[in-house]
Amino acid sequence: MLLMLLFAGCDTESMSQSWQIDRLRVLAVAAEPAEPRPGDVVTFDALVVSPAEPLGGSAWFVCDAGSSTDFGCEIDSGLIAEGDIGTVDAEALAAAGFIGFLPGLTPTWAVPADYLDELAEEEKLEGTFAMTYVTAFPEVAEGEQLDEDAVEIAFKRVPVSLAATPNHNPVILGWRVDGLDIAPGALVDLDPGEPFTLEVVLADDAVETYSFRKSDGVDETREEEPYFSWYLQEGEFSQANTLWPFTETVYFAPAEPALPEQSLWVVVRDRRGGMAWASLAIRFI
Amino acid sequence: MKQRSAVGRFGLSFAGFLCLVLPKAGLAEEPAPPQAPGAVEELPPLVKDPALLQFVQAPYPEAAQAARIEGTVTLVLEIDATGAVTRVDVAVPAGNGFDEAAVEAAKQFKFSPAEDASGPVPVAVEFAYGFVLDAAAVEGARPDEAAAAAASAEAPITLEGTVVEMGTRRPVADFLIRVEPVGAEVQTDAEGRWQLRGLPAGTYTIRAVRPGYDTLQKSVDIVEGQATSARLWVRNQSYADPGILGTYHKDSADVTRRTISMDEVRRIPGTFGDPVRVIQSLPGAARAPLGSGVLIIRGSNPEDSRVYVDGMYIPYIYHLGGFESVINPDLVGSVDYLPGGYGPQYGRSTGGTVDVATRNRFPERTELRWSTDALDSGGVVLGSFGKEDQHGFGAAARLSYIDAILPAFLADDGFTVIPRWWDFQTKYQYQGDKPDKFSVIAFGFRDTLLLHTPDGYAQGTDQDTQGDVGTEYNTYRLGVNWDRSLGKHWALHASPSFGSDYAALDIGDAFHLIQSRYTFEVRADAKYTLNDHFTATAGIDFIAGWADFVIELPFNPATFAEIDPIADREPYALEDNATGFGPDPWLNVAWKPLENPDTLALNAGARLMYVIIPGENEVLAFDPRFSFRVQALPGTVIKGSTGLYHQPPQPFQQYRPDDKPVEVGAEQAWASSVGIEQSIGPAIRVEVEGFYKDLTDLIVGNRDFGSLNDSYFVNAGVGRAYGVEVIARHEPIGNLFGWVSYTLSRSERQDYPDEEWYPFDFDQTHILSAVASYRLPYDLSVGAKVQYTTGNPTTPYSLGVYDVDQDTYMAFQTGAGNSERLPAFWAVSARIDKLFTFKSWQLLLYIDVINALHGENPEFEQYNYDYTEKTYFAGLPIIPSPGFEVKVEF
Repeated sequence: MLLMLLFAGCDTESMSQSWQIDRLRVLAVAAEPAEPRPGDVVTFDALVVSPAEPLGGSAWFVCDAGSSTDFGCEIDSGLIAEGDIGTVDAEALAAAGFIGFLPGLTPTWAVPADYLDELAEEEKLEGTFAMTYVTAFPEVAEGEQLDEDAVEIAFKRVPVSLAATPNHNPVILGWRVDGLDIAPGALVDLDPGEPFTLEVVLADDAVETYSFRKSDGVDETREEEPYFSWYLQEGEFSQANTLWPFTETVYFAPAEPALPEQSLWVVVRDRRGGMAWASLAIRFI
Repeated sequence: MKQRSAVGRFGLSFAGFLCLVLPKAGLAEEPAPPQAPGAVEELPPLVKDPALLQFVQAPYPEAAQAARIEGTVTLVLEIDATGAVTRVDVAVPAGNGFDEAAVEAAKQFKFSPAEDASGPVPVAVEFAYGFVLDAAAVEGARPDEAAAAAASAEAPITLEGTVVEMGTRRPVADFLIRVEPVGAEVQTDAEGRWQLRGLPAGTYTIRAVRPGYDTLQKSVDIVEGQATSARLWVRNQSYADPGILGTYHKDSADVTRRTISMDEVRRIPGTFGDPVRVIQSLPGAARAPLGSGVLIIRGSNPEDSRVYVDGMYIPYIYHLGGFESVINPDLVGSVDYLPGGYGPQYGRSTGGTVDVATRNRFPERTELRWSTDALDSGGVVLGSFGKEDQHGFGAAARLSYIDAILPAFLADDGFTVIPRWWDFQTKYQYQGDKPDKFSVIAFGFRDTLLLHTPDGYAQGTDQDTQGDVGTEYNTYRLGVNWDRSLGKHWALHASPSFGSDYAALDIGDAFHLIQSRYTFEVRADAKYTLNDHFTATAGIDFIAGWADFVIELPFNPATFAEIDPIADREPYALEDNATGFGPDPWLNVAWKPLENPDTLALNAGARLMYVIIPGENEVLAFDPRFSFRVQALPGTVIKGSTGLYHQPPQPFQQYRPDDKPVEVGAEQAWASSVGIEQSIGPAIRVEVEGFYKDLTDLIVGNRDFGSLNDSYFVNAGVGRAYGVEVIARHEPIGNLFGWVSYTLSRSERQDYPDEEWYPFDFDQTHILSAVASYRLPYDLSVGAKVQYTTGNPTTPYSLGVYDVDQDTYMAFQTGAGNSERLPAFWAVSARIDKLFTFKSWQLLLYIDVINALHGENPEFEQYNYDYTEKTYFAGLPIIPSPGFEVKVEF
């Protein structure tokens, strides 16, 4: 089958690509701490990008794994669709797992102290997970209706355990462009139509070593293998996803950019639930 | 003026004519022959062609003679088991009074009867009756006294020679050799030799004539006191392989059996000369998705149909990509396609059956064939030896080189695709006069595919699916077919075989699946023939096997239901083995209750499926089957069947961790059909058949699976498939052959009683194929195939929810499963070939053009990353595939 598909024509490149930001998107969600223990208080943040229209906000919920589906938490869709979060009954919101609204109400979740009580002692080392569910939507002008197609819904698992070496979110120090370190917040001038090597610089301890207890009771030392997702507004990447230790990709700037100033993003997943991101402001000269 | 029919001199042999055996049910006056290898009532191969013993010269039509018109009438002769001609039809008329004259003469022919393994059988043959004006008639020349001298036995030999067919170097009998201007005539013997005596010295013109061959003229000088020798190379007007039979059709328990002749197959566009691919142009067979090569027969799942080679089951019939089958076409004798209603000799499947029979006729002279096309190259050697060529042999091998060509068509982006395959087949056959006949066949094939990704390329957040992907499968079989005739009433058949199948899949460094399977099969049966009206056959379809498998996964399947994509996984490795066993006895009784046995044939049979699968679990099923054929009118047959068909769970459905008992049983199909066959003249046959298949106990995923105590699969599904199939076929008589087939069908499934019915994944409402090929002069052939099918069902999706951890979108299903369809598929394929014949070898050049009109046929839906946009994988573009074949005889 794979062989034949090589002969067949596939016009997927004419469709929008995951690495091209052309609408409101949730690109990443991070919990802090990345792997809480029962009783910990967890705060959440998300990388939400909306190049075309202002971001309206994002509503946050948490549920446990047992009340989630392949699509995240089972939330009454009518709860938020009514639009004005302030008019929704507070008890109904709490019962649905509402934990915050951005901007304004930082998503915060206190992990119940008995969250792992149903697990055996050995199982608590690996733990279980909670589900975070975020709905991001664009700003809606007064008198207009929310375009449901513009709403982005995302979910993320939050591991909860008593692991001896709990996970942490990776730390990104910054960018390098063609080997040059870029100062935080700097606007980078690029030539249209030219290739540039982008590199994300991680902190020394970003790639963690941790202990995993196997089913035979033997502890095994493992090392993370982060996964990098690169995003842009215009242009192309040589590879939109790279795997540790490949922290670089080549950015092919558009020959005729539609916008003089754009952004690039990179999201780092440690594949244990830890996540971090960085953006790079660019200007075409 | 002397007039005569030139074919009057060709009355002693039938060799060299295109011999096409056509449906001829029920002409046997002798007891029905014993069963053929493989199964009860199976169509047995002929071991001896009918030979013309008595030729009758037709008078040359006066008007044609006066107008100096020549012609050839193509006849279809029905020959009974005594060799008498019982019916003559004109397949290709010549007009001018030739047709009537030829028919009247042919009715008086006498043949030696055709024989299969059991003895004489009725057949029908194509016969070209040629009318050629002799030189005297054409040129007004008159024989002189030298002609009389040339016929004198006392005179010395002055001119001699042989007639040899170009390309094949076969001697040709029954050529009329006429020497002008003296008018001396002689006919070549079986070795192609001829000689004339007493011709005086001088220059002469030799004119060699025989229907089916180009007339040859050659000038020779005869020197006083010497014998002049001349080798005459003659060119056959049609190099269709006379050793390959067309449809040979006797009474059968299989209501719908469509047999493909190799001569037809080689000319069908878009098939690369592969007989198995032709099945997909026959009624009941849905179009397989691009590159899959699966068989989707009468609304059945691909895994519900089984493919056999000489009765041996094989798991794969196609090489990678589905372009070519795993048996070299030169080693294929025929392909039986049974979409349904087949007898109890076949089992363990609820879908259709395809039985590929290897060649059972081998050339007298050793042949070497070589073929090369865009995908692979291969060679074949065929021949026979011993007394009366009782020992036949064949060997073939092919090797693909598409891995060397593919990079030229792919972008140099670090990704590489390396597909490779090879196959081989060998066969030895003994078919002597003794009651024992046997053959040995060994074959095998190996396919590998490696997809290499560049370093650092991430295929997703799952760390265990990174890296290269590779797969391999191979199959080997060694089988023996043995037949013994025990007098007038009994015949025995046995075909033991041993084989191995290997399949492996590697995904990155973490997924490794390997299965090695060894099987021992025995098909054996005993057939008792009481008389023309009653036969009974009892058989066994035995299989025993064991399998070793290795499973290496990045996670423990015991926790499969609770996979957490961000949890650490513990690699899992399992090495185990399993055994299986199934004897499957069967019985079939054929009864023809009326005085004329042709009028009504009834078949009743049953099969017991008993399988022991891993965990010592037993699957037991009883399959009664019944069929009938009624000859309502001459040329009109009404037929029908009904029966039960069971198949055991697929191997992957039999897996339970920790040796837990397998709780799934056999799937069942109750299949029925009724149809009519109508012959319209000797060349055209029309069949219409309706079918209904009720599917129960279908194995589906357990929707209530919650823990390892639950079975992964349950027999909760049901289904139904029904439709009408029509085929109108022009037999390969004369220069034209082809068919138009159309299937109107519907196939549906329901996974659980409280769920909705939905269309089967490959449900295709309309399936239309039209195939035609025409032989032009100068050994040119052109052909075309038109195919139209309804698009496969699809399920609609819309913008999904983003799984941040896995960097993927979960799509929302916005409609019922399989509630939409791909656009219809249509394609035109074309082929043109030209045969070049040289003295000692032949060269066939051809070009097959797939999708010649560049139909943009969607094969699969492809959504973008978030399911907001949709496009299609288009089908193949215009693909011209040139190739050549070389044949040399030694």
